[in-house]
Amino acid sequence: MAASAADVRSILSLPNPSTPGPSQTKPKVPGTTERSRKPEGISRELYSLIGPSAPTLAAQLAKPRLKQKPNLGGGGRVKWEWQSFKNNGRTDSLHLSHWTKAGTDPEAEYTFAKYNVQPTSYVYSQDEYNRFLEDKEWTKEETDYLFELVREYDQRFYVVGDRYDFPGGPPRSLEDLKDRYYSVCRKLVRNRPWAGDESSKMQLISSFQFDKEREVTRKKYVASLEQRTPQQIAEEDALYIELKRLEQTERRFKKERDELLKTLLGVESGLPDISVEDEPPVNGNGLHIDTTTPVTGNTRKTKKRGVNDVDTPTSAGPSSANVISLGQPVQKKAQSAKSAQYDAQHCIHRTDANQTTSNKAAHTPVYFRSYKLPMLKNPTGPRIIQVLSELGISHSRLVMPTRENCARVDGLVEATMSLIDTKKCVDKVEQDIQVATMRLEMANNTGGEGGEGGAGTPSAMDVDEDAEGVEDDDGRAHSVISSRSTKSMRGRKQSQRRSMSISSVDTSATGSMPKRRKR
Amino acid sequence: MAEQRVRVRGLSIHRPIIYGNTATVLTPEERKINPSPDHTHRWTVAVRSAASAPDSDIVGGADDLSYFIKRVTFKLHETYPNPTRNIEKHPFEVSETGWGEFEVQIRITFIQESGEKAITTYHHLKLHPWTVTSDGQIPEAPSLETAAKMGPVHSWQYDEIVFHDPYQSFLNILTAHPPTPLPKIRKKPVPFHTANPGSLEASKGGVPEFTQEMEKEEAERLEIARKAVITETDKWRAKLIEKEKELELLQRQIGDV
Repeated sequence: MAASAADVRSILSLPNPSTPGPSQTKPKVPGTTERSRKPEGISRELYSLIGPSAPTLAAQLAKPRLKQKPNLGGGGRVKWEWQSFKNNGRTDSLHLSHWTKAGTDPEAEYTFAKYNVQPTSYVYSQDEYNRFLEDKEWTKEETDYLFELVREYDQRFYVVGDRYDFPGGPPRSLEDLKDRYYSVCRKLVRNRPWAGDESSKMQLISSFQFDKEREVTRKKYVASLEQRTPQQIAEEDALYIELKRLEQTERRFKKERDELLKTLLGVESGLPDISVEDEPPVNGNGLHIDTTTPVTGNTRKTKKRGVNDVDTPTSAGPSSANVISLGQPVQKKAQSAKSAQYDAQHCIHRTDANQTTSNKAAHTPVYFRSYKLPMLKNPTGPRIIQVLSELGISHSRLVMPTRENCARVDGLVEATMSLIDTKKCVDKVEQDIQVATMRLEMANNTGGEGGEGGAGTPSAMDVDEDAEGVEDDDGRAHSVISSRSTKSMRGRKQSQRRSMSISSVDTSATGSMPKRRKR
Repeated sequence: MAEQRVRVRGLSIHRPIIYGNTATVLTPEERKINPSPDHTHRWTVAVRSAASAPDSDIVGGADDLSYFIKRVTFKLHETYPNPTRNIEKHPFEVSETGWGEFEVQIRITFIQESGEKAITTYHHLKLHPWTVTSDGQIPEAPSLETAAKMGPVHSWQYDEIVFHDPYQSFLNILTAHPPTPLPKIRKKPVPFHTANPGSLEASKGGVPEFTQEMEKEEAERLEIARKAVITETDKWRAKLIEKEKELELLQRQIGDV
């Protein structure tokens, strides 16, 4: 936009020349400054053209009413302070400082600490693996490795996929990894007893949904989209435009035809009532039927004609089908809301009718609800009863054996069973551990005696000293092994020995508990 | 009529009932009049609808159940004269005097339209006041004098009679008589039940009444127990996984040796 000379002058606050610009004439008149101030809502250029003799309309050309600017906590000055804070999300004791508004409590919890959410990492026992997680494509070791990586990299699958290198395993794509991980999680959630309600379980399971095929197809599709040549893109665009044009033409044609028919047949044609939108074009005969049937109300007539003319039923059919398909869902919905209330009032419970009809012959006779409580007769029964009685629950009697409560008892018994199963597994593994420790000790004793000549190398003892300090029973045995192994090939053995000592610490930490209890 | 004998598939309908007894200690005067002087209690065993009628002094019985129950047979101890008592109309109850507790067999026969067989349950006739056996020992029943002071003894079991795929005609009869819903909140004492020993205190002081609150309370108890079991399971599972790792290490070591 070109500025006039007057504008330049006014910007530079220069005195007016002898021949003032058009915009400056009026405001210069002394007594009129009050009146001639530019009303709001009129641009300066316009005002300078129409002058103060602006029509009343100008007053209405008020500034467009915009929302008032929100007042964000007053314009007062805010004081900021450099404060050190404690982040509860940190596991290390690193202290950082940040700028905060003056007056904030330095002891207050760090607002962002709550976002440091650790993803739940799923672990499974051997028993669970055997029961639910077997997969012929995957070994347990590789699954363990996958879960370890996923945990280590916080479920960042691109990193996991990048780092994934299982020795001796087949090559795995990112989708393979995801598929395995999510399927295992799904199975675990599904098969473990769930503390919350059913819907939250379903929600969690659906969050682990992964469709490998679809993901692969999606990626392929994206890749192919990327690899299109410019010619192909142009062709696609052209085709798309062509399609749109065809659709438009068709719509126009339809509209014109309708209008034509209306003019031909008059108002009674009944056309506006019938949605012609998605009907195939009908011939004159069919239309004739359409117009007559509502008047005569004779269904037999239509039927008869239907035999003669193939087009008649099709012309009448879709429209009536349309009406039904539109009307039914609305009706059904209203019914379900009402019937739920009705069912509650009359104590009715509906199950899927199709399921029950399948075994038509077996009619469940009338029963007392409480008689359907789980019978705990199988071998684990007494143990379940014991656990339940410890929890103050009677396994056989309920105060209010309603349907929901009986279902809850079922869930409770199921959970208890899995608890007992887990305990059994722990017992078994504990026993195996004992056997293994004994075997190891025996093997070490014989081995230790055989290699006694080599034992006592000072460097070996140094390495294993810490292990021995923690360990009482097993530690000695390990140190014997490692000291024996230092004899030859120092470099290689060094690393092996270190792993040995670590493992012995591990076992001492976990293994000492049951032993102590046994004593 | 033919379509009336069609079963409504995929539908089950239940009616909440209670069965049990109320017992009071006989006063010395009453005992004198009684033909069997050794009898100490008067009791009433009954099958009733679960909800209590407003301002009634009995447990339950708001609805007349004879619209679907044809007969209730109470089988008393053989020492009673004609021990099998058939009750064919509302109220379905038997009142007697006696001195001892025993198992009452209760047989409920339904109206013909139901096309269902009779069902049987048992009720332990309770005469002596409830006592808490928290330490697992059965305490001495209080003497008659103290028992008399403690007021009537109530022993009631809630249950639901469930009809699966009922005949249309029977369903029509049932839906014509919707049961009185249980009151939402507690105004009267809670009926004591051995499955919930904690309710003893709340059961004192008058005629008890079944409420929806009791159902919720029990649901909560079950839910808490389930959560406890699951946390315990998780703990043991973690332990198991740890142990398995340990075992694996040991086995590897054995392999190395």
